[in-house]
Amino acid sequence: MNPAHENLLTFLARQTVSAATPLILAGIGELVSELAGVIDIGIEGLMLTGCIAAYTIAGATGHGSLGLATAILAGMAVAALFAATTISGRADQIVSGTALNLLALGLSGTIWSLYQNWRGNHDLSTALPHGAGYSRLAVGALARLPFFGPVFFDQYSLFYATVLLAAMVWGIIRFTRMGLILRALGDSPQACQACGIAVRTWRWLAVLFAGGCAGAAGAYLSIMRTHAFATDMTGGQGFVVLALVIFGRWSMGGLILGCLFFGAINSLQQTLQTARYTSHYAALHALQSVPFEVFQMLPYVAALAALAVLSRNHPGPHRLGRPWPEEISL
Amino acid sequence: MLQLINISKRFGPVAALDNVTLSLRRGAIHGILGENGAGKSTLMNILFGLAHPDTGKIELDGRRVRIVSPVRAQRLGIGMVHQHFKMVESLTVLENISLAAARGLWSPGRRELIGRIRAWTDKLHWNLDLEKPVADLAVGRRQRVEIVKALCTGGKLLILDEPTAVLTPQEVAELIPPLRAVAAAGMTVLFISHKLAEVQKLCDRITILRKGRVVYTGAINELDAGQIAEKMIGARLKFPRLTDHQEQPDNAPRRDSGELAPPRLELRNVSIRGSRHGAWPLLNVNLSVRSGEIHGIAGVDGNGQDFLIRCILGQLEPADGNVIFGDSPDSHRKTPGTRSGTPLGYIPEDRLREALVLPLSVQANLMLKRYHTSPFAWMGLCRFGRWRQRSAELIGQFDIRCPDAQTPVGTLSGGNQQKVVVARELGEKPRLILAVNPTRGLDVGASAFVMNQLLAARREGAAILLVHSDLDELLAISDRVSVLYNGQLQETSWPDASREQIGKMMLGIA
Repeated sequence: MNPAHENLLTFLARQTVSAATPLILAGIGELVSELAGVIDIGIEGLMLTGCIAAYTIAGATGHGSLGLATAILAGMAVAALFAATTISGRADQIVSGTALNLLALGLSGTIWSLYQNWRGNHDLSTALPHGAGYSRLAVGALARLPFFGPVFFDQYSLFYATVLLAAMVWGIIRFTRMGLILRALGDSPQACQACGIAVRTWRWLAVLFAGGCAGAAGAYLSIMRTHAFATDMTGGQGFVVLALVIFGRWSMGGLILGCLFFGAINSLQQTLQTARYTSHYAALHALQSVPFEVFQMLPYVAALAALAVLSRNHPGPHRLGRPWPEEISL
Repeated sequence: MLQLINISKRFGPVAALDNVTLSLRRGAIHGILGENGAGKSTLMNILFGLAHPDTGKIELDGRRVRIVSPVRAQRLGIGMVHQHFKMVESLTVLENISLAAARGLWSPGRRELIGRIRAWTDKLHWNLDLEKPVADLAVGRRQRVEIVKALCTGGKLLILDEPTAVLTPQEVAELIPPLRAVAAAGMTVLFISHKLAEVQKLCDRITILRKGRVVYTGAINELDAGQIAEKMIGARLKFPRLTDHQEQPDNAPRRDSGELAPPRLELRNVSIRGSRHGAWPLLNVNLSVRSGEIHGIAGVDGNGQDFLIRCILGQLEPADGNVIFGDSPDSHRKTPGTRSGTPLGYIPEDRLREALVLPLSVQANLMLKRYHTSPFAWMGLCRFGRWRQRSAELIGQFDIRCPDAQTPVGTLSGGNQQKVVVARELGEKPRLILAVNPTRGLDVGASAFVMNQLLAARREGAAILLVHSDLDELLAISDRVSVLYNGQLQETSWPDASREQIGKMMLGIA
């Protein structure tokens, strides 16, 4: 479909879904991890790891799928580091997660410089080679539907995978014994232990899963949505994911709604930033004197406000962030 | 059926179990009696795979088994009901049982489980609402869920760790027939307790542990209560007698000793609004506590005790009515810290969470309330010399058994931990004392100690409000008794009213 035929609403909706996809993907992982009782502040770092891993491998090999696979594995590898310190080592999850974010920021920057140098020897451009990034995948005739077509059926392939994953994880949490265990882990590891459930093994798996999801979300940002990498390109989206899991009251539906809400405000402010110069409406021209940072701030302010209003009276998993076993016997 | 042979287990220098040999018969209810720290919990943990013996062996049906984990224990047919329930509150009854009793990752096994659960609940004549979240169940109900859960996972041996500690007298009585039904179905029940009366009513055989050793095993009817207590504790005890309230001159009520003392604490028409619309956790409560008396509040847990206590502590503001300390009518507007002139001694129900800082030393815990006041501080600096001196006095006076004052409180036994709380709260002679289930989880000796301390404080003129779910202990030392039922407080004519009348009031049928 030709973008020129899209009306503003369709355009905004499409941008919203596009912006929400990585948040939902990383959010699924974070949700699973938090239900199991581990709060992974390092989600931002994991996403950034995914960004750089996907970009460099896709750029070096020319295969986007290799980049995506590497991003997932890299996310899991860094998550394993986090799991080793917090679950096996019983270190504080907030502190370890923060350290992880700093590590990922430094590491991705270093790899980025090395990659640029290496590429510089062959070719001055740092854009992804043609074909290395993903392009949108239109789903046959469905993509020609009015409104729904461009919004839901002309997205990157990872979007469809995210929808499937969300449905699967929702079903698992809701209907299977695995989901029961997952929900129990965060609320009462004591009860799980008494039931013969290996608390730490389960938490390891949940954190690895979250790492994989966040890595894939990073890949979405670098080799799908932008075909580029920039230092700290996640720009706090990982922290937004943390907030959105709380916003969604640890439910899949709430999480997705929150991500769409955040994505909507984000695409709205981006459109507004352009519209103040291009629009026919004089009222919008008045906004030209407003610094663009104010617009960029809007989604975060909105997320904060929504969080303050909506997340009251829901404590979340009782043992979120506590190591297990809680006390080492004397 | 199950045999433990020469089991020993040490924790550091302490022998928790010393050469314990125990043999359980099929279809029997076997009681394990012992004081706190006698090794009961360790024994149970070994049976359930949560701890591993240093020496000795376990035989099940004649075959040697190694119980390396709770899963292994369950596979062997051993189910356990822990004293502190191990349930996930946000999940439903069925989900909790599925967590424990089903296997595999995918199917929660609803249909098959419901069949197994119904088979047991029919035998026990219980009615469980399987779809209800555990968080909505009262303690007695939760215990039933725990028992059914253990039955569904086990099948041969049911271990009950202090099952009656959280129950009302009525609920305890109601627990006996179902447990007999379990035994009649061919299972062995292991019943751990330190309450003699229940063990006598329920058990066929008993084993008495003292300091990690078996001091007696045999049929229950071979010993009388006095002999059992003697074996448990090693010597006869001085304990406020639970019956014959009137006969003890020391405990006689002071109601008619002429002029009534002025109330130290008064609640006038206090109501508290609940979180749900139209719910009143406390409604028009009138209450007074005078110097030199113990006012006992009886009631089944969950009838408003929490709200009453938090209201008195100033943690909850009443929607209506006044809480008055001494004679200042507006004192309910002050925070707990600024209710000066009325030092309040508070023994909370949950000493681990509300009263003690477990990793801190005995000394630091003893000073928690006074560390910043003269003479324990000077210009904002701690005077450790005074701390040491005062805590040494308190440790002696309240007979706290600890290696020294610098020992972390968390390493002491439950009874000694409670002594630390009592020493801190009563040691400075407060004029008003609020005690909530002060003997919870304590053995006979420690319970007697706590109750005697309350009686001593009363003799010295303290006004004591005692909220206690153990009716017998409450009646033994209270001068006046009121019953809290469904948020409403009603004073009884105790000691003229009978125990049975009060019990009926607790259940709202009188």
